[in-house]
Amino acid sequence: MSILTCSQVRELAPELALGVLGGAERAEAITHVNECARCQAYVIELTEAADALPLLTAEREPPAGFEDRVLERIRAGRRRARRRWWGSAVAIAAAVAILSVTTVRVLEARQGGVSTPTATSSSAAPVAVAMNGNSGPAGWAYVSNGRAVAVTVDYAVGPGRYDIRLTAPNGTQETLGSMHVSDERGSWTGRSEQTIENGSTIALVDASGHEVCRGTVSA
Amino acid sequence: MWSVSDDALVAGLAAGDEEAASAFVRRFERRVFGLARTIVPDDRAAEDIAQEAFVRAWRHAPTYDPRRGSVVGWLLTITRNLAIDAVRVRRPVAFDPEALVGLDQSSDERGPHELAQLGEDTDRLRVALATLPEEQRRAIVLAGLLGYTAREVGEMEDIPLGTAKTRIRAALIRLRAALVEEAAE
Repeated sequence: MSILTCSQVRELAPELALGVLGGAERAEAITHVNECARCQAYVIELTEAADALPLLTAEREPPAGFEDRVLERIRAGRRRARRRWWGSAVAIAAAVAILSVTTVRVLEARQGGVSTPTATSSSAAPVAVAMNGNSGPAGWAYVSNGRAVAVTVDYAVGPGRYDIRLTAPNGTQETLGSMHVSDERGSWTGRSEQTIENGSTIALVDASGHEVCRGTVSA
Repeated sequence: MWSVSDDALVAGLAAGDEEAASAFVRRFERRVFGLARTIVPDDRAAEDIAQEAFVRAWRHAPTYDPRRGSVVGWLLTITRNLAIDAVRVRRPVAFDPEALVGLDQSSDERGPHELAQLGEDTDRLRVALATLPEEQRRAIVLAGLLGYTAREVGEMEDIPLGTAKTRIRAALIRLRAALVEEAAE
């Protein structure tokens, strides 16, 4: 809950809009703005004016070859992203395979070494779930044996810690764990208490409870 | 490709379209480099920032939301933040706020491309900025363009923190009012 009044936030709003408010004041102002629609609208209005200021600076011709150098960096970035995607996919597949084998071995050990067909049979193929944010792909989740879960994101998710939330088709929710994202990348592996069914969703949830990306299990 | 909208170019950039990426860079390179060079002291550093701004724009193109502002505003905000980070270790600067934001530049001196891109809002903002008291204009340029905090503005201008905050606040509220008034006419 915000400790600042609307009047205090409006005093700080111009500095917040200009991006020059720091430390505790910024955190407290943002907390208030997130909870107060009127102050939020006021900050947005001021931000529009603040964001227009850079438009007033003069254009200037960049050094020769600038465009080529930028495009080469973008191409290199695409190549790295492709390699990273494949690397993540292989790592996650390996993690899922390890989880699957471990699960079966634990079950076998508990049952005196007698292998009994269960929902977590190692023969079940992992199900890949595309995780999408508001504006496009963010990463993948893999579900194996109905309970083993691996999540990786490598795009368009801001830095921070996110809860991994499973929602069953009947609305039952379970927080599977939490994952740290840095430089848009993060991964997590673990297990669900409940069997993950078709139609279940897996989502990354930020500190304010907002889903930043989600995917629906569809085997 | 030049007739394609800014939003469509960003969509092409996000989709990995090489031609869209090239057109995107050509369309905005003078603006991005100009802003970077305004904030950082030399061409080499400004080019590094400008390159990084375009790379960031490419990486974040899938999350660009046109409802939250124009493409050029989004791109220049990325550029400004990178440039401010680059000069975070501040050196005392002697600057002319009027020169930084082109108040000393007549329309005739701007290139045709710049004239084509300057929207009415931008001209209104320039007029509003020109009519601010000089101390408010300096404060808003220091904070809004160069990223100085109110405390730093107070130290540079040799005024109390409260006065610096008041100048920044008054200036931005007047700029906003000018944009709103003009839009309502």
